[in-house]
Order: sequence, then C-alpha cells, then structure tokens
Amino acid sequence: MVDPANQTSHLSAPVLEELERGSGPFSSLIQQLTQIVGKKALLYDADELLVYECDGYIVDKSAPDIVVFPTSTEQVSSIVKICNQFNVPFLARGAGTSLSGGCLPIGGGVMIVLTRMKQILEINLRDRYAVVEPGMVNLHLTNALKGTGYHYAPDPSSQGSCTIGGNIATNSGGPHTLKYGVTTNHVLGLEAVLPDGSIINLGGPTAETPGYDLHGVYVGNEGTFGICTKAIVRLTRDPEAHRTMLAVFHTISDATRAISEIIAAGIIPSALEMMDQGIIQAIEEAFHFGFPLDAGAVLLIEVDGLDIALDEEVRQIVDICNSHNVREIQRADTPEERQLIWKSRKQAFGAIGRLSPSYCTQDGVVPRTRLPEILEFIEATSEKYGMRIVNVFHAGDGNVHPILLFDERDQDQIQQVLEASEEILSKCLELGGSVTGEHGIGVEKINFMSRIFNETDLSQMEKVRNIFNPRQICSRDKVLPPHQTDLQASVTQSHPGRRAPH
Amino acid sequence: MTLTHSGTPEDFVPASQPELSRFLSENATSAHQQIFPVGGRTSLSVCCPDSHSGTLVCMSQLHRVVDYPVRDMTITVEAGMRLDQLNEIVSAEGQRLPIDVPQSNRATIGGVIATNTSGPRRFSYGTIRDYVIGISAVDGAGNLFKSGGRVVKNVAGYDLGKMLVGSLGTLAVISQVSLNLRPKPECMQLVWFEFSSCESVDQALEAIVTSGTRPTAVEYCNSKAARQIVAESRIELPMENHVVCICYEGPEKVVKWQAQQIIEEWRSFSPLSVQIIEGTHAARLYHAFVEYQTSSDDPVTLKAMLLPSQMMSFIETATRLNIAIQAHAADGIVYGHLPDSASSLEDVNQILEQLTTGIDSRTGYLTIYQCESDWSESLPLFCSPPAGWELMRQLKQALDPQQLLNSPRFAKLVKH
Ligand SMILES: Cc1cc2nc3c(=O)[nH]c(=O)nc-3n(C[C@H](O)[C@H](O)[C@H](O)COP(=O)(O)OP(=O)(O)OC[C@H]3O[C@@H](n4cnc5c(N)ncnc54)[C@H](O)[C@@H]3O)c2cc1C
Ligand SMILES: Cc1cc2nc3c(=O)[nH]c(=O)nc-3n(C[C@H](O)[C@H](O)[C@H](O)COP(=O)(O)OP(=O)(O)OC[C@H]3O[C@@H](n4cnc5c(N)ncnc54)[C@H](O)[C@@H]3O)c2cc1C
Repeated sequence: MVDPANQTSHLSAPVLEELERGSGPFSSLIQQLTQIVGKKALLYDADELLVYECDGYIVDKSAPDIVVFPTSTEQVSSIVKICNQFNVPFLARGAGTSLSGGCLPIGGGVMIVLTRMKQILEINLRDRYAVVEPGMVNLHLTNALKGTGYHYAPDPSSQGSCTIGGNIATNSGGPHTLKYGVTTNHVLGLEAVLPDGSIINLGGPTAETPGYDLHGVYVGNEGTFGICTKAIVRLTRDPEAHRTMLAVFHTISDATRAISEIIAAGIIPSALEMMDQGIIQAIEEAFHFGFPLDAGAVLLIEVDGLDIALDEEVRQIVDICNSHNVREIQRADTPEERQLIWKSRKQAFGAIGRLSPSYCTQDGVVPRTRLPEILEFIEATSEKYGMRIVNVFHAGDGNVHPILLFDERDQDQIQQVLEASEEILSKCLELGGSVTGEHGIGVEKINFMSRIFNETDLSQMEKVRNIFNPRQICSRDKVLPPHQTDLQASVTQSHPGRRAPH
Repeated sequence: MTLTHSGTPEDFVPASQPELSRFLSENATSAHQQIFPVGGRTSLSVCCPDSHSGTLVCMSQLHRVVDYPVRDMTITVEAGMRLDQLNEIVSAEGQRLPIDVPQSNRATIGGVIATNTSGPRRFSYGTIRDYVIGISAVDGAGNLFKSGGRVVKNVAGYDLGKMLVGSLGTLAVISQVSLNLRPKPECMQLVWFEFSSCESVDQALEAIVTSGTRPTAVEYCNSKAARQIVAESRIELPMENHVVCICYEGPEKVVKWQAQQIIEEWRSFSPLSVQIIEGTHAARLYHAFVEYQTSSDDPVTLKAMLLPSQMMSFIETATRLNIAIQAHAADGIVYGHLPDSASSLEDVNQILEQLTTGIDSRTGYLTIYQCESDWSESLPLFCSPPAGWELMRQLKQALDPQQLLNSPRFAKLVKH
C-alpha cells in the first residue's frame, strides 16, 4: 500500500509538490479521506491507479485520481460528502467486470471500490430474503446458502467475481434469466448513499412496500443514482431436480428454430444457451469435451422443477429437436455429467483467450424469433470485415453475445471492432430489439441512447436521474448522453488544484 | 363532480396517444384543470376523497392490440384494454398474463399497473412489475415518453416502467404497455385445510418454506372472511375456524401429486379437516379469493404488508377485533375488512392503533385501502410513511410540477 511519505515518485509534478507542501486542495482531499478510511484503504500512486483505468471494457481508458476502499456505509457517506466539499466527481466500482465501461471515471476523480464491504448481514429463510453488503461476490451468496434449499437466482456468467452491488447497478441477467428473471426481479429493497452523502432506504424486506417503486427505478441505474451500500434480495427455492442436455445441430438456423418451438410449446427451460461452431472449436481445442468440430451449433438446454414433472418436458424437447434435424442429444445422467456440460459453457470465455489477444463481447437483443436473422447478419459482418466473430449466448431471451476477436495493439482493428459492433447493434434495433440486454449503456453505448429514445424520453430520464443526482457529481456522463457544457465541467472539476487541459 | 360517475360532458376520451398528449399539453398551458385518469372505474374511490372538480381522462378508446408476436410471448397493447379482453386474446394462443385482477371484465391494464394490483398467484409468478417490459405514458405537461422496449431483456436507460407501477396515476397517464407473457398451465387444483388456531396455521405456513411441493398460491382466511367467500363462491369451506387454501398449477399428473404430498406433509400440524377441490369448483373458489380483496362495502378496508413470519400475530389481533381477514399468506399481504360496528372515525382510529402496535415499523406497513367517503380526508393512507418518502415527493414534483395529475390522491399520500 502507498505511504504518501515515501512513495510519491509516480505522482504528477503538481500533486507531488502539493503533497510535499502539505497544503493545496489535492493534498487536503487526501488528508481528509485518509482520516476516514486510514492509509491502507487509499491509493493515489499513478502506477497503482493503472489497475483502475478500465474495467472489462478495454477499448476506452481513464484512470481515477484516487481510489478508496470503505468498509461501512458511514465511511461511504463521509467520502461522498468530502467529494462534494471539494467538488470532485466520484463513482462506485465493484469487481470491475463491467463490459460497457461503467467504471470508467471520465475526467478522473475519486473511485469508491466496495469490495471490502462483503458481509452477509442477515439470512432469513422463513421470509425468503437476505441482506448483504454491496461488495459481496454473487456466487459467495449462493455458496453461503448451500444446504438451506435456497439460492440467489440471478447468476451472470461472471458470478464468480462480480458483486451484488454491480449486479444491482447494471440489472444483471444470466443463463437462468429465462425462467427466473433478471436482478430487478430479485431486489426487495436497498440502502444507498445519495450523491450528496445522505443515506436512504428504499423498499424493504416485505413483499411489497407502499408508495412509488423507487428501488425498482434504482436497479439498473449504472451507478448514476449514488452508491448502493446494502441490498435486501429475494431468495429462491432450489429446484428439486434438473435435466440437462446438449443438443448438437447441423446448422444455426435449425437450433434457433428449435428454441422458438420449445418455448411456444409452453415449456420455459431454466436455461437455453447456444454456442456456435467457432466457439465449439475453441472450447474443444482448450478442454476436449468431445464436441463434434463440424457441428453448426450446440444448445445447452436445462429444465428444472419437481422431479416428477421433468421427464415429460424432456420428452417434448427431444421431439422438438428431432423435428428440427438435431444430430444428437447428449443427456447428463449424473450431477458430475451435468457439471461437465455447464463447464463447457462457463469456460467458453476462457477458451476465447486462446483464439486472439483481445476480444470485445457485444450484447444485443432481438425478439427470440428473429435470432436466425441476426445470426446471419453477424456472420455476414464477420466476412465483411475479415474479422472472426464467435457466438455464445442466452438464446432463450434473444440476447446475443457476438464476440469480436481482435488485436488491441492494432489501431485499425480497434476501429473495425467499433464499426462492426455498431452495425450489429443497429441491426438489433432494426429487428425490434435493443443494444443491451444485460451489460448496460455505460460509456460504450451512450451514442445509441438518442437513437433508441427521443428527446422527451431522455429528458424524462434526466429528470429522474436529477432527483437522485442533481449535480451529476456521481458517475458522470454515463447512461444519458451528456450536454456539451457538462462535459467541459467534468474535465475542469475532477482535478482539484490542477488546471483543465486546453 | 363525483369521480365514480361516468359520461359527464367534461370527460375527455382520447382516441390516440398523440391526442392524449395534445390534450394534456393544452391543459397544462391554459385550463390548468385537475386531471383524473380513469380505466375501468372499478375503484376510483379507493384511497381518495371521491368528489373533485376537474376532468376525467377516460382510457376506454385506447384499447387496441399494437403488436402480438405470439411466438416471442410478448404483447403490446394500449392501456385502456380490459383484462378480460387481453386474456381472451392471449389465451387463444395458450398463453396468459399471470396476474389476478378483480372485476377483470372492467379493469384495464393501465389501471392494474397504476394500482399495482396483484392477487394470490403473486407467490409464484410475481406481480405486474415483473411483466412490464416497456411502457409509454404522458406526464402532466403533455410529454409523451417511453422506456424499455418490446424484448424480454433490455437494460437501455432507466426503468421508468417501475416508476409508474403503483403510481396511482399521480405521475403520468399510462398510454401503452409491452408485456411479457407465460404459458397457460394445463390444470389447477386447490387444497384447503382447516386449523383450530393461529399458532397451528403459523407452523404450517412455516413448513411451506421447505415443502416438497411448489404451490402457486397460499391463501388464508379467518372464519368471518370464510363465510363471505362461501357466500360468493357457493363452495363449501369450513366457517368456524382458520382456513389455508393452497393452489397448484401445471400438468395434471404433477398437480395431483402435489395435492397429495401437501396433505401428507401437513398431517403433523393436525388440521381439523382437509379437502381437494378440482375443475370448475376450483376455478370458482379461486375467483372468489381474487374478488374478495376489493369487493366490499364494509366501512374500511385495510391492506397490511408484513413479513410472513410476523403475519399471524397481526391476524390474531385483527381477528380478535372482529375484522374479516384474507391473506396472500406466503407473501405476508393481508386484506382486512372492518366490521359494520366500526361506525365512527373514533372507532376506526382505535382499531388502527391496536393493529399498528403489533407491526414492526421497519418491516411492516398498514395502509387504508378503501373507506367511507366522508372519512377519507381524516384517515391516514399509510400508518407509517414509506421509506424514501422525500424522494417520492420530489419525483412527483419533477414529473408533474403543476400538480395536475390526480393531485387529491397524491395530497392524501403526502399528508402522512
Ligand atoms: C466473463 C464475463 C461474463 C459476464 N457475464 C455476464 C452475464 O451473464 N450477465 C450480465 O448481466 N453481465 C455479465 N457480465 C458483465 C458484468 O459482470 C456485470 O455487469 C456485473 O454486474 C458487474 O458487476 P461488478 O461488481 O463487476 O461491477 P463493476 O464492473 O465494478 O461496475 C459496474 C457498474 O456498476 C456500478 N456499481 C458497482 N457497484 C456499485 C454500487 N455498490 N453502487 C452503485 N453502483 C455500483 C459501477 O459504477 C459501474 O457503473 C460479464 C462480464 C464478464 C467479464
Ligand atoms: C389507489 C388504489 C390502490 C389499489 N390497490 C390495489 C392493490 O394493492 N391490490 C389490488 O388487488 N387492487 C388494488 N386496487 C384495485 C384496482 O384498482 C383494480 O383492481 C383495477 O386494477 C383498477 O383498474 P381500473 O382500470 O378499473 O382502474 P380505475 O378504477 O379506473 O383507476 C384506478 C386508479 O388507477 C389510475 N389509472 C387508471 N388508468 C390509468 C392509466 N391509464 N394511467 C394512469 N393512471 C391510471 C386512476 O387514476 C386511479 O388512481 C387499487 C385501486 C386503487 C384506486
């Protein structure tokens, strides 16, 4: 950890000078923050800040000036009040797995990292809720519930590292969204520090609370409504049994038609994940699961519920797959086999690392029945740019994740990734969908907002944001396209005591 | 003018969203009339003094299907569509919106969203907030805006749909909604149990947490409510004790297995009697549970939102006070109808005081749902203010700065 007394060599000259003098705004900001959290919970060394210059979205980068690690709501509130006093912008960060640049501190400022606030405060099975701190890793909550017959349903593929606070901010989904819903369906209430430092509670542990559903409005705010410091989440019964299958298809369109048909038959599988040929080959190369390399697509299908109900559902699914030219269906008969099948899905991203130095995961959505069209379009885009694009995604929700493979060191390729992404997402909109199903707008997709929504829509959203965050001091320039004047202000205000670049 | 009467000359009946928007915009710049959005008028007097001057904006002409891509299991409709009409359309495709709505032949989807109506099925299917994927509405100044979209998964922008669910028409007039649908189950059965005490009901309800079955709904009624439900449904229920009625839906084989299984599991709580109800009888009884919460001419109807673990002690007090109680028991949502003997404001306040002493103010709320019209000014809507109240007030101010939308209802909210 940094000790300002002997580790200031990487700091910029004006800051260093200030710190040596022990006066000036930057220096007193650090002093005051140190008083709240202690030296060990503060970073401002340029080298160490590099870690925080981006999240899972690596295309844009911008380092914060200071990173703090609070351990309590009161500390968060005091930090925020000090930022207000110094007029320095700030933003929250969980595990930094955001894929849309939600953690990018535009113009610098203070980053409040919540990973030390990771306690479970209460588990109440009778009333089916848990109260957790925001830095709790998603999977750790479900692990803590093992054996109780309950779990926390939202399970993003990043659940081993992402935090509940980050999930709430982005309204995360996951493979089980199709049946169990996204994060907002599982948040009963929360505590948050508003951008002025005040502490509020919204909703509560009861199934319903009177008044406006503000916790519902809060979920998915992408960090722009203040900092969530506590969450009351709904717990879900574990299903009694699962049936997990891998259906191997010759072509993508057979697979997507089967998906549509399964759901139209009144079966809501708990997961319906698709992997295309590119990803199958990558997974196979890396892990040797035994997938046929020439298959057009593989569907991971899982149904869950009461044991007595499942065989009939499986029979119907097999019939539907057969009528769509399925090549083979592998069934998991033991928990070990089920785990193996899921492993292939969960390690897909790891396998991609072997294919190319960098990759960009897109997050478009189309109505389920338009999947064949968007997948064809993605293939055509891949050919057009001569860029490899592989697909692994939550097919049951129509949420596609084309993964664009590129080399970050090549500027031309970065430009091509941006253009190809733009084309794919525009096509999603044209097909009646959206540009983000679960990763959020962040900074990445901010330009799309004025294409999806008109000025009135955006101005209503702005009114709502301004109730929480009137001065836009918290997570500025995210979600809503900024007004030009604000952009300038952010650059000026974020570096107290330093001059704005001209 | 009385809100509950219809067809007055000053009613405005928009035929399209732009027309609604134009009307509200003109009103905001010139007439400054109070605007009262109305759907099916099934409960306009709820929580509200029922006579004001102003304009009723009737949504009855905005009742079209905008888009129904059947295989995507989503539907977009105008907000004035009646629930029965909606159900009929989607039911023909083997689908449904699994939200229970009283008087569904009249209630509109806009009204259901504005009032956050829900019934027994909320235990397994959630509430209307879980089904609204996109929404359009017009604010007090006439701004037509939307959020969300028509796909089941979408996180572009803030979720203004959540803001409008339960907003009682005080923030904007909901004009169009996109909804997620679910498959219609093959069959439904109910199993009722009669218990002699609140304590044994509580034990049985606790066992739901680990039951091998997955109920769709868990309803409770005390003997006074049971009598009214029997009168309504003409299905025999025990009327001297406490009744818990469990509902199962799904494939017939699975439903039947569960009904037997719960009887087995609950044997140890010594129910006085048990019965399985199937077919049209089950549908009739279920319907009576859905209607019961609202169809009342009792002096006051209460709604309590409690933790399930604290619910039975509240119900015990309420039963002692001669209040008829129905509860969505596994969710802790309780409806209570006060007895006719509560004939003065003083009586009602006394009853409220006794009821609220049992409620933990951090985890429970009591609200006045409906009351005699001349009491509604004096009775608090919420017996304790909800969390985030100041932000709610600011939200109203931001969306309806001139306080034109349903402001008497909002003023009622503000008082407490
Ligand atoms: C391999 C991989 C797989 C993924 N799979 C999925 C998936 O299946 N589904 C899915 O939805 N996402 C997925 N993601 C994206 C990402 O994991 C989610 O968006 C996740 O919710 C982010 O959590 P986090 O803790 O990392 O938040 P961060 O990345 O740290 O932050 C994300 C946003 O939330 C804000 N934030 C964080 N904590 C708080 C807080 N306490 N209060 C207020 N704002 C806060 C930040 O300011 C930022 O705007 C995946 C990412 C990766 C890298
Ligand atoms: C204040 C209130 C609370 C209620 N709470 C519950 C509850 O918790 N549980 C329950 O089961 N039932 C509840 N009800 C009953 C519920 O009103 C009916 O079951 C039905 O859903 C209402 O539909 P409607 O079309 O008849 O609405 P109406 O009776 O016409 O209107 C009811 C309310 O909704 C508003 N409204 C109607 N249409 C629109 C629209 N398009 N845009 C904006 N606002 C509109 C009205 O201004 C009014 O405030 C409540 C009713 C009211 C008035």
